[in-house]
Amino acid sequence: MTFFTFVTRGLTRRPVRTGLTIVGIAIGIAAVVALVGISRGFESSWQTGMKSRGTDIVVSSMGRGLTPKPFSATVVERIAPLPHVAETCTLLVDLISVEKAEMMIVSARQWGGFSWKNLKITSGRLPNDDAERAVVLGKTAAEVLVKKVGDTLQLETEELNVVGIVDGGAVVEDGSFILSLPLLQGITGNQGKINIIDVRVTPGTGKEALTRLCEQITGLVPEARAVVAGEHIRESQAYRMISAMSWGTSLLAVLVGVLGVMNTMLMTIFERTQEICVLLAIGWSRGRIVRMVLWESALLGFLGGVSGVLIGVVGVKLLVTTPAIRGLLEAELNPQLLVMAVAIAVVVGVFSGIYPAWWSSRLAPSQALHG
Amino acid sequence: MPIPNGDSGWVFEACGLKKQYDDGQVQALRGVDFRIQQGEFVAIVGPSGSGKSTLLQMLGALDHPSAGTLRYRGASLQERADLASYRALEIGFIFQAFHLLPTFTALENVQIPMFETHRSVSERKHRAIELLKAVGLETRLHHFPAKLSGGERQRVAIARSLANGASVLLADEPTGNLDSENANLILDLLVGLRREQNFTLILVTHDLGIARQAARIIEMKDGRIVSDALNKEPT
Ligand SMILES: Nc1ncnc2c1ncn2[C@@H]1O[C@H](COP(=O)(O)OP(=O)(O)OP(=O)(O)O)[C@@H](O)[C@H]1O
Ligand SMILES: [Mg+2]
Repeated sequence: MTFFTFVTRGLTRRPVRTGLTIVGIAIGIAAVVALVGISRGFESSWQTGMKSRGTDIVVSSMGRGLTPKPFSATVVERIAPLPHVAETCTLLVDLISVEKAEMMIVSARQWGGFSWKNLKITSGRLPNDDAERAVVLGKTAAEVLVKKVGDTLQLETEELNVVGIVDGGAVVEDGSFILSLPLLQGITGNQGKINIIDVRVTPGTGKEALTRLCEQITGLVPEARAVVAGEHIRESQAYRMISAMSWGTSLLAVLVGVLGVMNTMLMTIFERTQEICVLLAIGWSRGRIVRMVLWESALLGFLGGVSGVLIGVVGVKLLVTTPAIRGLLEAELNPQLLVMAVAIAVVVGVFSGIYPAWWSSRLAPSQALHG
Repeated sequence: MPIPNGDSGWVFEACGLKKQYDDGQVQALRGVDFRIQQGEFVAIVGPSGSGKSTLLQMLGALDHPSAGTLRYRGASLQERADLASYRALEIGFIFQAFHLLPTFTALENVQIPMFETHRSVSERKHRAIELLKAVGLETRLHHFPAKLSGGERQRVAIARSLANGASVLLADEPTGNLDSENANLILDLLVGLRREQNFTLILVTHDLGIARQAARIIEMKDGRIVSDALNKEPT
């Protein structure tokens, strides 16, 4: 028998209560994993999407919505002549309901712009010119919409031909509905408007030059902001709100877990008052009692954390395959997040154990004699 | 000046020992003086409420006296900083209600005090088996307290009290919850173990038959010692 036997025996004496407490923490931790994983996934999916479009700088006005506000396409003329700018590509990106898909990334790109070049055709072809009433689907988008080359697709009031299926190299690209810029401008009544300018810089441009270029562009284009591609999404108020909300919600769930553990630990300690007094009477130090209680609640937290991570990971995997979300984002469940979630649970456990531990350490050994 | 540990030859020296509860409303001990030598077998008797358990609690450092001094082997017990290790290593306590931990087997219960020593896991287990053999429970090692008879539980408790080789055993009505047959068996066990190990045995009892087996009988009444006499012929 080791000291750990005490810790585990404390938890196994009331298996149902212990189990319920573990479930309580697990739900909180699962919320952390799912919500934070998804909001981070939102960020990283857009970043990799940007990267696979070959973008270094994104010029857009990330305002309140999930998609940037449209502005005049002529703005690009102010950016193109700047030093370090190699190429630009204007886009109009929107989240629109398309047939079966509730929300789909519709990405209209300047004809001949570099953003078309990274699309690997898996079947069919790209549109012949910007006037062809044609659309190219990312492979996930094609699956979600159940379309193949030769089918037609209804976008708002227009019927378009699916001419190709592509591998975009990123979840967001694969989930996109890609067409030429004038076509979408016409369909959505945004003639002459764009909402994103992808900028590619000349090779060898340093980080500092990149930042300076962003400042320069932002100065020249009051209607939008230029941001280095990786940082682009963080600028979005919508993203910030999603991120804050997901943390807020998960912390609330964790708080409920704290109360659950604290309640369980207090109950188990009250129940064992007599036993703790006996332990003190036969020579256990108060420190050992404190350690016993803290280890017990830490173990509760740990078990809750591990189950929560499992529930969260499985839940997220299921969630991102649902038609509503599929192709929009990929959850980012990196090991750090999972380890951090378990660590949060252990901290929750230890924290919840502090008061019960302190309470038990104040018991008098003489109480062992009574009763 | 405290006499260095062991020099006085007395295990306990109590002088004007008082204990009050509830801000002085209850005077459980009203000034108690006595000395006890190593290896003595002392029975404490007296009517209910006379302060026997209170006195034993003071000796076992389960509670602090309100006034007076209590020395253990020449050193003041009140001034001792490590009372936990005193309780763990110097004395063994046996309760009327056994107070075994219900979720631990006999073998595990006996090992509990050994966590305060440097014994390894296997040493603890080995010693616990030896102790349970010594109290005649070698066939009950893996039984939980609920599956043991009262007498068997008290045997486990005795094994537990001797786990760290205590030199003093404090027993508060150890046979109070047992029938007379089991009571006698437990008492014989304690007497036998004391003969082998020469620990000091201080035993609180209502039972004069049991008290008569002690070499010295202290009688208490109303928080005072009313007689303290050697028993000429312990039975
Ligand atoms: N924790 C306490 N708080 C208040 N009063 C107490 C407490 N412990 C004991 N007393 C009182 O002190 C007095 C002595 O109690 P003690 O338990 O020492 O008696 P006892 O001689 O052991 O009696 P019994 O033979 O019934 O066990 C009693 O009047 C008791 O009510
Ligand atoms: Mg008593």
